[in-house]
Amino acid sequence: MTLPAPAETSRRSMIARRAFLLLLVLFVLLVPIPSFHTPRTHEITIDAAQYEFSPARLNVNRGDTVQVTLVASDVVHGFYLDGYEIDSRVEPGVAEQFTFAADRPGKFRYRCSVACGSLHPFMTGELVVGPNEPFWRAGALALIAVGATLLSVRKRRSA
Amino acid sequence: MKTLIDRPPTDDGRRDVLARMPRLRRIVLSRAFQPVSMLLLLAPFVLAVVAGLLGTPAGNRNFGIVFVWIVWWAVLMVLLVPGLGRIWCTVCPIPAPGEWIQRRGIMRGGAKLRTGRRWPRRLRNMWVQNAGFLTLALFSTVILTRPSVSAVVLIGLTGTAVAVSLLFEKRTFCRYVCPIGGFIGLYSMVAPIELRVRDPQVCVDHRSKDCITGNEYGYGCPWMVYPGKLDRNLDCGLCTECLRTCTMDNVVINLRRPGADLAKPAPGRRIDEAFKALIMLACSIIYPAVLFGPWATVKEWAAVESFGGWLIYAAAFLAATLVVVPGLFWLAVAWGHKGSGSDLPVRRAFNDYAHALIPLGLAAWIAFSVGFALTNGSYALGTISDPLGWGWDLVGTADVGWTPYLSGAAPTIQAAILLGGLIFGVRTALRIGLRHGPPGPAGLRAAAPVAAFLLAATLLLLWLYLG
Amino acid sequence: MTGAKGNRASLVLLVLIVVGIPSAVVGYQYGLRPALADHRIVDITARAPEIGGFSPDVVRAEVGETITLRFAADDVTHGIAIGPGLGIDSGHIDPGHVGEITITPDTPGIYTYYCNTWCSPDHWRMRGILEVVDPGAPGAVAEPSDPIIDALDAASIDIDTEPQTAEGIAPDRIRGRQSLAGVAVPPQLHDPEWRFSHSPAAGLAELQSANPDLGDGVLIDVVAYLWSETPPPAEIKELYAKNCAACHGERGAGDGPAATSTIEEPVAYPEAAWHRRGDIWYAKIRRGGMGTDMPNFGTIFTPEETRLLVEYLRYLSFSGR
Repeated sequence: MTLPAPAETSRRSMIARRAFLLLLVLFVLLVPIPSFHTPRTHEITIDAAQYEFSPARLNVNRGDTVQVTLVASDVVHGFYLDGYEIDSRVEPGVAEQFTFAADRPGKFRYRCSVACGSLHPFMTGELVVGPNEPFWRAGALALIAVGATLLSVRKRRSA
Repeated sequence: MKTLIDRPPTDDGRRDVLARMPRLRRIVLSRAFQPVSMLLLLAPFVLAVVAGLLGTPAGNRNFGIVFVWIVWWAVLMVLLVPGLGRIWCTVCPIPAPGEWIQRRGIMRGGAKLRTGRRWPRRLRNMWVQNAGFLTLALFSTVILTRPSVSAVVLIGLTGTAVAVSLLFEKRTFCRYVCPIGGFIGLYSMVAPIELRVRDPQVCVDHRSKDCITGNEYGYGCPWMVYPGKLDRNLDCGLCTECLRTCTMDNVVINLRRPGADLAKPAPGRRIDEAFKALIMLACSIIYPAVLFGPWATVKEWAAVESFGGWLIYAAAFLAATLVVVPGLFWLAVAWGHKGSGSDLPVRRAFNDYAHALIPLGLAAWIAFSVGFALTNGSYALGTISDPLGWGWDLVGTADVGWTPYLSGAAPTIQAAILLGGLIFGVRTALRIGLRHGPPGPAGLRAAAPVAAFLLAATLLLLWLYLG
Repeated sequence: MTGAKGNRASLVLLVLIVVGIPSAVVGYQYGLRPALADHRIVDITARAPEIGGFSPDVVRAEVGETITLRFAADDVTHGIAIGPGLGIDSGHIDPGHVGEITITPDTPGIYTYYCNTWCSPDHWRMRGILEVVDPGAPGAVAEPSDPIIDALDAASIDIDTEPQTAEGIAPDRIRGRQSLAGVAVPPQLHDPEWRFSHSPAAGLAELQSANPDLGDGVLIDVVAYLWSETPPPAEIKELYAKNCAACHGERGAGDGPAATSTIEEPVAYPEAAWHRRGDIWYAKIRRGGMGTDMPNFGTIFTPEETRLLVEYLRYLSFSGR
């Protein structure tokens, strides 16, 4: 903006900028992110011990099937998967099995659900169902937020 | 439609809260208000200590852990501090025994013990609070998982408060020592509530200064603050004494624009305060990484399972909070400052811009606390019926199992909170920048690296919670 | 409320809080609660043996006395059972919870309360004694004798002698059942008592002499079937899962999660079962293994449970993999 614009034009251009910003945010929130993976089945053995799950991080893709064999190697533990609300209790010597479809993208922590000692509340692992849409969308929104805030001032200044 | 730079520098739209709520006003103005609040909260406090010392070592079944580190912490960080600022300091039972001994009375002081000494000038800043917080933070994994340790910390804080109250005047403990009070004060500057004088000129003209000396209606400010010059929430403990003592009816509690204290010109800003903001932001990143992250070894170090491991953790923790994060922030500020043409010393800019970290830091703490509370809040039901894990069932909820609430939605909620904090922080940085430099895009240029620093911190947090 | 009156009232409130709350908590737990109960309550803290096990670890009761044992798990999940022969099992007691067992014992004797949920490397040491005495006939409670173990002692059979391990054979009870019809079975092999005191290897020798023209492969499977004829009841599977699987493994392969922490490697049943006599196995389970980490289960299982357990071990061993 080089010339001081009449108030009416300025208001209209501001409305246009806001509409554009809104569209951009909606786009970032809603644009479908394609997954190029053919669904497969993961057979995973998760070992629970004070105070960690191994593996502590699982990467699968949306549409995959996950077959979990849960074992405990010291004391009784549990396995709760955020978002999928799977809960299982496992005793040393008696493995547990369950299967679920990874149909929600994002990061979901699994946590010990049976108190197992002092660090029990922090006995966690994480399942990442890719592509990790929530993370990329939130990151993009952060960039837009900073950019838009900086730009809004610049426009006002020069206008 | 106003954007931020069109706003006049003095805040508008303040509303006197108590004038609209005469009932609340009567309660707050009563001399019994603070002592009774403290007494009422002393009850769960004592129960928390008793449970911690005598109850089950299983933290999730012990009132002393569940109602302190899950319920109180979440209520404090998610509701009280962002919504009502220092309101916790109004009702906190920790300084109560010390204050009552000092005053020789609960409702109204008897014979004064003797005038306490003044806190040494050198320590009249936040450094003791910073050090205290860092010390607690270094052991926090142990404190918040072991009921007996937690009880010892509560006793220790109360004992320190008593000792400080015996040696020094008034609420020296709260103002300069309490490690919790430090960050509550810092983040209370975001709150939409403030205690201020209606018209500073009234105070200037009013000779007797009852708010400092006290009178038959109340004590002189226990926090050693002169309300007439109060322009930020940082040091005001909301004890409400000045509302009672002011004979000019000049003290009010205002509803205001959130964060109004952050960007206003305040020559009093010092580096201790800047470090408070930096330490708190750094901790808000370290905590979710250590406690919620998938790195079990780090958790064991933090929990002092081995002394060597803890030393590594302590060194890394102190380096991150005191050197790395402040250093990076210094670089960001210095870089922006250089291009802005401002003639302020970089040190001043550093102290000012640190206030742009406060909204994001608070948001990160809210995100952390929301996650922890949603995950473990259900433990409260069990411990209310069986506070010591002794097999009681007082209200029939002893066997309610552990159920995380909203476990699928939590990351989205956390992301939204973090994004809110980022926008708030960037806007604060811009306000500070525009006020500093020569008017024009120079201020913007000065603030841009700070905004980039905020963005980087946010992306790191988003990665921890969502990535 | 102001002035001296308010001050006095608040002082009373303060004392009520600071003195009253601790007194109420402790008074209820240790004074009022036992006083209100119509029978004796014993509070027992349950921790992993490394940090204390049961305390107290001895409880005395009289025949006909109703007594409530309250087991408070302090550290990790435990499960409390009392044996032998009482069929009492609290199920899992998670940390910070209390499991109550109320009993009215009617037979004097020494009973064992023990943890039956793997809780630590020394889990099997987590035991306490419930001594039930008859006030009418006081005096030491005699250790009941065990005819099977007595017979082994009388015959000077050392139960701690390691059996041979079977090599290169894979007995399969299902195949054995299928080929049973074409095999001549000497009558003693149909006698459970004879089978109990003889190893499958000894049984094979009998079958070989009765069926000289049949190959060993078929006969081995038939022996496997005969030595594990009846599928074990569900309670025995449960007993095994709770007390044995942590070391010996879910399928008896000696590969439980605790197998790496024992002094000697836990026995893998498929290898041991072929040359192991049932009565020796029985004695071993009841007495424990000398110098290994195999605990004695004689104070926990009844003789009948132990015999069924031996049969289950054969069943596991011969069920193929």
